[in-house]
Amino acid sequence: MSAPAKKKIEDQPKLHGILGEFRNPKALYDIAALTVKSGYSKFDTYSPFPIHGMDKAMNLKKSKLGWIVIIHGLIGFTGAISMMYYMSVMDYPMNISGKPFFNAPAWVPITFELTVLLSAFGAVFGMFFLNGLPKLNNPLFNVDRFKKATDDGFFICIEAEDSLFETEKVKELFKEAGATHIEEVYD
Amino acid sequence: MSKYDYVPEPALVKGNHDFASLTRLVTDINLRPTPKGWYLAMIGANSLLAILGIAVGYLIWEGTGVWGLNNPVGWGWAIINFVWWVGIGHAGTLISAVLFLFRQDWRTAINRFAEAMTIFAVMCAGVFPAIHVGRIWVIYWVFPVPNQMDMWPNFNSPLLWDVFAVSTYFTVSFLFWYVGLVPDLATIRDRATDKIRKYAYGIFSLGWTGSNRHWWNYEKAYMILAGLATPLVLSVHTIVSFDFAVSLIPGWHTTIFPPYFVAGAIFSGFAMVLTLMIVARKIYGMKDIMTDDHMEKMNIVIMVTGSMVGFAYMMEFFVAWYSGVEYEKAIFLLRATGPYAWAYWAMMTCNVLSPQFFWFKKLRRSVVFTFFISIVVNIGMWFERMVITVTSLANDYLPSSWDYYSPTIWDVLTYVGTFGLFFTMFLLFLRFLPMIALAEVKMVIPQADPHNYDENQDYKAPKVEIPTPKAVEA
Amino acid sequence: MSEVKQNTYWKSLNELAKNQEYQKFVDREFPENATELSDGFSRRGFLAIMGSAVLLASCDFARRPVQKILPYSKQPEDIVPGIPLFYASSIPFQGSLTGLVVENHEGRPTKVEGNEMHPASHGGTSIFHQASVLGMYDPDRSKKVLRKGTDSTVNDFVDFAKKHFADTNKRIAFISEASSSPTLLGLKAQALNKFNNADWVTYEPFGESNALEGTERAFGQRVRAHFDFSKANVFVSLDDDVLNGTHPNSVEYGKQLSAARKVTSNADSMNRIYAVENGYTLTGSYADHRLRLKASEIDAFAHALAAALSSRVSGLSAFSGYSNQFSDHKWIATLADDLIANRGESVVSVGNNHSANAHAVVAAINKALGNDGSTVNYLEVPHLDEESTSAFNSTVDKMNNGEYDTVVMLGTNPVFSAQNRNFKNALSNVEEVIHLSDYVDETSKKASWHINSAFYLESWGDGHSYGGVRSVIQPQIQPLYNGLSNIEVMNIIVNGAMTPGYDLVQSTWKNIYGSNFESRWATLLHDGVDTNSGFTKANVRLSGSFSPDTSKDNAISGMEITVRADSTLHDGRFANIAWLQELPDPMTKITWDNVAAMSPATAAELDVENEDVVEITSNGQTIKIAAWIQPGHADNSISLTVGYGREGIGRVANRYIDYTTGGVDTYPLMGSELSAEATVSKTGDTYEIACVQDHHSLEGRDMYRMATLEEYKSNPDYASFESVHTYPVPGMKEAAEKGEDVPISLFDEQTYPDSEPQWGMAIDLNSCFGCGVCVIACQSENNIPVIGKKEVNRGREMHWIRTDRYYVGEDADAPMTAHQPVPCMHCEAAPCEQVCPVAATTHSPDGMNQMTYNRCIGTRYCANNCPYKVRRFNFFNFPKEFLTTGAEPDIIQMAMNPEVTVRFRGVMEKCTYCVQRVNRAKIEAKKETGSPKPAEGAVKTACQQACPADAIYFGDLTNENSEVAKMKRNERNYQMLEELNTRPRTSYMAKLRNPNPALA
Repeated sequence: MSAPAKKKIEDQPKLHGILGEFRNPKALYDIAALTVKSGYSKFDTYSPFPIHGMDKAMNLKKSKLGWIVIIHGLIGFTGAISMMYYMSVMDYPMNISGKPFFNAPAWVPITFELTVLLSAFGAVFGMFFLNGLPKLNNPLFNVDRFKKATDDGFFICIEAEDSLFETEKVKELFKEAGATHIEEVYD
Repeated sequence: MSKYDYVPEPALVKGNHDFASLTRLVTDINLRPTPKGWYLAMIGANSLLAILGIAVGYLIWEGTGVWGLNNPVGWGWAIINFVWWVGIGHAGTLISAVLFLFRQDWRTAINRFAEAMTIFAVMCAGVFPAIHVGRIWVIYWVFPVPNQMDMWPNFNSPLLWDVFAVSTYFTVSFLFWYVGLVPDLATIRDRATDKIRKYAYGIFSLGWTGSNRHWWNYEKAYMILAGLATPLVLSVHTIVSFDFAVSLIPGWHTTIFPPYFVAGAIFSGFAMVLTLMIVARKIYGMKDIMTDDHMEKMNIVIMVTGSMVGFAYMMEFFVAWYSGVEYEKAIFLLRATGPYAWAYWAMMTCNVLSPQFFWFKKLRRSVVFTFFISIVVNIGMWFERMVITVTSLANDYLPSSWDYYSPTIWDVLTYVGTFGLFFTMFLLFLRFLPMIALAEVKMVIPQADPHNYDENQDYKAPKVEIPTPKAVEA
Repeated sequence: MSEVKQNTYWKSLNELAKNQEYQKFVDREFPENATELSDGFSRRGFLAIMGSAVLLASCDFARRPVQKILPYSKQPEDIVPGIPLFYASSIPFQGSLTGLVVENHEGRPTKVEGNEMHPASHGGTSIFHQASVLGMYDPDRSKKVLRKGTDSTVNDFVDFAKKHFADTNKRIAFISEASSSPTLLGLKAQALNKFNNADWVTYEPFGESNALEGTERAFGQRVRAHFDFSKANVFVSLDDDVLNGTHPNSVEYGKQLSAARKVTSNADSMNRIYAVENGYTLTGSYADHRLRLKASEIDAFAHALAAALSSRVSGLSAFSGYSNQFSDHKWIATLADDLIANRGESVVSVGNNHSANAHAVVAAINKALGNDGSTVNYLEVPHLDEESTSAFNSTVDKMNNGEYDTVVMLGTNPVFSAQNRNFKNALSNVEEVIHLSDYVDETSKKASWHINSAFYLESWGDGHSYGGVRSVIQPQIQPLYNGLSNIEVMNIIVNGAMTPGYDLVQSTWKNIYGSNFESRWATLLHDGVDTNSGFTKANVRLSGSFSPDTSKDNAISGMEITVRADSTLHDGRFANIAWLQELPDPMTKITWDNVAAMSPATAAELDVENEDVVEITSNGQTIKIAAWIQPGHADNSISLTVGYGREGIGRVANRYIDYTTGGVDTYPLMGSELSAEATVSKTGDTYEIACVQDHHSLEGRDMYRMATLEEYKSNPDYASFESVHTYPVPGMKEAAEKGEDVPISLFDEQTYPDSEPQWGMAIDLNSCFGCGVCVIACQSENNIPVIGKKEVNRGREMHWIRTDRYYVGEDADAPMTAHQPVPCMHCEAAPCEQVCPVAATTHSPDGMNQMTYNRCIGTRYCANNCPYKVRRFNFFNFPKEFLTTGAEPDIIQMAMNPEVTVRFRGVMEKCTYCVQRVNRAKIEAKKETGSPKPAEGAVKTACQQACPADAIYFGDLTNENSEVAKMKRNERNYQMLEELNTRPRTSYMAKLRNPNPALA
C-alpha cells in the first residue's frame, strides 16, 4: 500500500486497475468465472502457464489466428508458383535437359516450403500481433509482486476502464473470493 | 496376479516439486554466476571453432582442391557432413512438433533442449553447402535475387530445393523455439536482479505477462506451428535425399531414399539428443525432469527407427536385384565387397546391430550403455552418408573413370571445426537460456490442473486406480 | 636503328604506362611476319616510327633487331583482329617432313593442323606435331648463345667462326640429327669439300641405321622401305609400331591402315594385321592377332617365317631346310598361308631398332612375296647415307683418340642419348665443341659454343617427307629468342657470314626449280608441298651373297630388357613440353613418368606390384625404376622407355626428388642392340605413378561393343542395344506403339525440329588406334591447362577428351585392347543440366550442351550426375599456375587460343564440340548463304581434324548427306548407355576385328 500512496503525493498517477493474487490455478479459475458473472469485461488473469479451461472461465472468443495463417499460407503458395513461373517461363526461359519450361513436378518442393514458411510467419507474428506484443512497458510491471506471475503467482486484474469499475467493489469481490493479496495498479 | 500388468504412466516430474521449486531448478542456472567449468568448456569449443575458421579460410584462399575430391567423386566429406548434421537437426523439431500433436507430455522435459540442438545442428549443416562450391563469393546466385547476369536459379535442381528446404527449416525451427522461449525469458526477466539481465531478458521476452488472453492465442499459435513443423521436418530430409534420388547415379537413383533418410535422421537426431541430455542432466542436476523414463522412451524410438533403417538397407539390395539393372547390382555388391567395404560394414554394425540391444529393458534404462550407443549410432549414421555419397560416385557407369576417394587433413579439420561451432552455440544456450521449457513443464505437473483441487480450492493429488481386468477371472 | 624499330611495336598511348614485361608481350604478339612488307621502309612504317618515338625512354632494347613491321594502331590489310590466318608449313621429325597448316592469330601461331595436300599428313597429325606449338612457346627454351657457359651473341659466334674455320685443315666432325633438307645437304657438301679433314655423321638414337644396313645386306643398297598399306590386305608387324607417333611416318601409315579397315556396310572387307612383339604397342593393340614374344626372339621368328615361305616362293632359298624353335609354331604356318594368299598385297615389317639381320630377312621376304613395287617401295634416300651407327661409333672413337679438334653438333643430344658410347668423355678430348639446340641440354653444357636454335615455326627450312615429297618449312613468327636454324649455322661455319635462312632456302630451290621460279615458289609456299617430287624408287634384287645370320636364334634365356623411344617424349627431345608429359601413355595410361613394364607373370616372379621400385642391371649399368604390370607383355621381358630423369633442362622435364616427378633416365641401359640380358631385383621402395585409369576391365559392360567381321556379316546390327542385351531399350516398346522414336517420357521435351543445323558426332571405334592426338589437339585448341603429376595422381586430369583403354578377352596374359575416345556426349536430355542450381549449363537450339563458365558456382553436381564422367573441374586456379610460372609467363600465354576463354578456379568445364569453330563456320555461312547452316565439312572439331585415323565424324545431322548423318544411320552406330535415355549426340561405331579362322 505504501508505494502507490507515495505516488499519489508526487503526481496524481492514473489508476490502471486492481490486481488480486490468488493461491492456485483453481482459485484463479473460480475468480475468473466469478468476475465474468459479475459483468466485468475489461479484465485479465495472469499465470505462469496456460490454465486448462481458463478460456471458458473468462469466456474468450475463438482466436482469429487461424485465418491469419491461412491467408499467409495462400500468399506463400501463390507467391512461390508465380515467382517460378515468372522466372523460368516468362522472364528467362532456358532449355534445361530438354524439359518443359513449366516443369510442374520439379516445382513442388519449393512451393511446399514457401507455403510452410509464410504460414509459420503468419502464426508467429500473427500471435504477437493479436497479443499486442512486444509491449515492453506495462503498468503491471510497476507492481513488485507481479513478478511472481511468471513463477508461481496467479493474478487477476480488473481494469479501471471497465464501465462497472469501482475500486472498493472490486477489492470486495477479490477479498470474498479469497485473494491472498489485493493492490491498486497505477500507470 | 494377472498376466495383465497395468502400468500407470509414471509421473513426468520426479521428486515433489511445486511451481516455485521448478522455477528455481531451471532458472537458477542462468542467474547464478558463471561456473569455471563452463569457461573451460567454452575455451575448448572456441578453439575447435577457430579450427573451423582456419580450415574454411584456407579453403577459400586456395580452392576446393585442398579437399580430397577428384574427378568421379565430386562430393566428399562436405556433403557427408551436411547430410549428417541436417539429420541430427531432425530430433528437435520432431520431438516438439510431432510429439506435441500426439499429446506426448513427456516431450516437455527435452523439447527446448532438442530444439536448440536442432537449430545449432542446422547451422553446422548450413556451413557445408555454402563452402563446398568452387566460387564461394557468388554463392548468392542460388537465391532468386536479381544479379548482373539477369539470370534466375534453375528450379529443376534438387540443390535449389535444398536451399529452400533447409533455410525454411531453420527459420521455422528457430521461430518455434523462440515462441516457446518467450514465457521462460519473462520468468528470468522477473527473477533477474542485475540491470543487464533485466534489460536483455526484458527485451527478448517482449513484455510477456502471462496473461491468459495471450496464452489463449499463444497456445493456438503453438499448435499451428507444430502442425506446420511436422510435415516440414519430414519434407526437409526428403528433399535432402532428392539430391541423390533425383540423379541417375547407381545407388543414388532410388525411390526408397526419402523415407529411409527421414528414418535415419530421426534415428541420429534422437541419439544426439540423448548424448547431450545425459551429460547435461548430470552436470545441471536435472534428473528430476529429464528422467530415466524419458531416456527409455527415446531409446525405443531409436530402436524402431534403427530397425527401419536396417530394413531400408536390405530393401536397397532387393530393389537393386529386382530392378535387373546391372549397374545397380554392381554398385551394391561393390559397397559390401569393394574398396569401401570397411565403411559399409562399419555402418551396418553401428546402425543395424547396435540399436537392437534396446530390446532389453535393462539396457534401455542403463545410462552408460545408452550414452555409448547414442554415440555409436551417430558414428554409424556418418558412415551411412559416406557410403551413399562416395561409393556411388567412385564406381559408377564407366569403369575407366573409377577412382578412389580419400579425404585430406582439411576435410577432417573442417568437420571437427563444426563441432566447435555446435558446442559454442550449445554452451551459450545452456548458460543464458532456460534449457527446459519451464512453462510447459509446470503445465504438466498435477498441481497445474484445476481439476486436482477440491471445492475449497485445496490441492489433492490425483490417485491412479489400477483396474483388475475381468478377462482373467478364474 | 634497332632501337627505333623496337618502338614500332607500340600499339596505343595507354600502353606507355605498361611495364616492360607487358612491353615484351606486346612485342611478341605482333611479330614482323604478321605484316611483312616486301619493300624497304614503307610510309606507314615511317609514320609509326615517328609517332612512337615517345616510347624510346620507356622500353627495353634487349630483343633482337627488327625488320619491317607496322604499328597496330594502323590496320594492315591481311590481318583482321580475331580472324585467324592459315599458312602452310611443315614440321621436321627424325629427318622427315610432315605438311602442316598453321593457324595464326594476330601473327602468332596457336595451332597446327595437317596439310590435306601433303602425302605424309593427308590432314592428320601426330601428338608431336600438335604439341610443337607449346614447344615453341616454352619459356625454358635456350634464349642465348653461350660461349663456355657465359652469355654471348650471334655476332660473336660469327666472328669466332670466321677465324676458327678459316683453317680448312681443321679436323672437324659434324654430327647432325637426321635431316632431309636439300639446303643442309648442299651446305654439307660445301663443308666436306672445303674442310679436308672433316667427317659428317648423322645420329638419331632411334634412327633407321639398322634398317638401312639390313637392306644393304639383302639388296646391296641402302634403301628405305616405304610401305603402302592402302594396297595391303595383310600386314605382319614384327615389333614395328608404325602407328606410334615416334615413327617418322606414323600419320601416313595410320591413315592408310585405318582406311583399309573402314567398313560402312557388311559387304566391305578389312585388312588383317598381325603383330609379334614383346611390349604392348599401339600397332599391337590395333592388330587382329597379337603374339607376345621376347624382342630377342624376333630374329628367330623372322627366320622361321622365311623358312616356312622358302618352299613356296622363290628368293628365299637361303632359308630352305632351316628350322628353329618357332618352325612348328602355329603362327608361322598361318602367317605363311596368309602371306602366300596375299602375294604382292601384303607387308612384312620389323621395328627400326631391331637388328640389321632381321631387316635383311624381312626385306628378302617382302621381295620374295612380290610386295616390292606394290605395297613396299624401296627408296633411295640420299640424306641417309651418313646415318649409320657404326659411322657414329667410329667418330666417337676418333674423338676419344683426340683426332678431332672441332665437333659441330646440329640439334642432336648425344651426351644424353649416347651414354652407352660415353659420348660425354669423348667430347672432353675435343677443344672446340659447337652445339645447336633448343635447350641448354646435357650436350650444350659440355659444349664450348651453345647456339640456341630457332624452332621450325620460327625459321626457314626445307626437306623431304618420309616418302620423298619435297616441301618448305615456312616460319610463322620471328624467332622469339633470336635462335638460328641449322642451315644458318652451317652457312656461318662454311661461309663465315650470317645469311638469313630465307635466302639460303630460296637459293636451293632456285637450283631445284630453275625456270619460272617465282611462280612455282609462290605455289610451293601456298600449297606447302611440291607434289610432283619424291625419292627415286630403287630397283632392288636379292643379292646372291645374302645369307641370314642365324647365330642369335637362341634368344636371351634369362630376363631381357628393351629400351625404346617413349610414346610421348620420343628420345627426350620433347621432355619439356608439358602437354606431352601429361598425355597418358596410350597403353599404360601413365603420365609424367616412365616405368619398367612387365607381364603379370614376370611381376609375380619378381614378386613386385605396380609402383614397386626394381633395380635393373644390364651392361654393367644399374638403374632404379618403378615396375608396372602390363597385361599382354611378353614374359621374362621388360620394356623401358627413355627421355625421362632429366636435370637442368626445364621446369617440366627436370626430375624433382622432393615430389618425385620426372621419371628415370634409362639411357644408361641402352646397349648396341635392342634387347639385352639384365638382372632385375626388387628394392622394397615404392615410387608413386600417376596413372589416369585405375580400372582396366569393362566389367562385362557394353560401352565398348565389338564383333568379328564374320559375325558382322551374319548379324549386321550386332551393336544394337537389343542384340547386346536381348531386350529393347526400356520405354522403346511403348514409344513404338505411340509411333515415337525415343523412349517414352514423363514430359513433352523441348525439341527444335526446325532449328538447323543440329550438331552431332560419331566415333568409329574400328578406326581409332588410341594414339591420343585428339587429346593434345583438344588441349591446344581449347586452352586446357596442365596440372602436374601431383594433381593427376589425385584424379583431377583436365583433358576434355580422353581415350579410355580397356583390356578385353578371356586370356588375362594376352588380352585384346579396346581404345575408346570419350568427349562430352552432348546429351539431348542432359543429366548435368537439370541438377545445376544456377542454370550454368544449358542446351542450345543446335543441340549442344553448353557450359556457361562465368555463371558456374562450382557445386560439381553436374559432374556427379554425368554418367560419362566427362566434366572437368578447376579444383585450383590451374590456368594461372600453368600460364604465369617462370620469368616470362607472357611467352607461354601466347600459345593460348584467343577464341577460347581461360577458365577460372572453381568452375566446371568440358568438351564444347569446339563451339568457337562451329560459330565461326555459322557466321561465315550466314554471310555467304544467309542461313547459318554451314556446308558439309566446313566445320571440323580439333580432335576430328587431328585424327590420323579419321575416326571422328562431326557435322550437321539435319544434312542427310553429311558424313556424320550417314554414320549415324549405319547399323554399327550405337549410343553409350542408351538405356539411360540421355540421348547422346555423340555416338560410337562398334569395333570390328578380322581374325584369321586358322588362329581362332
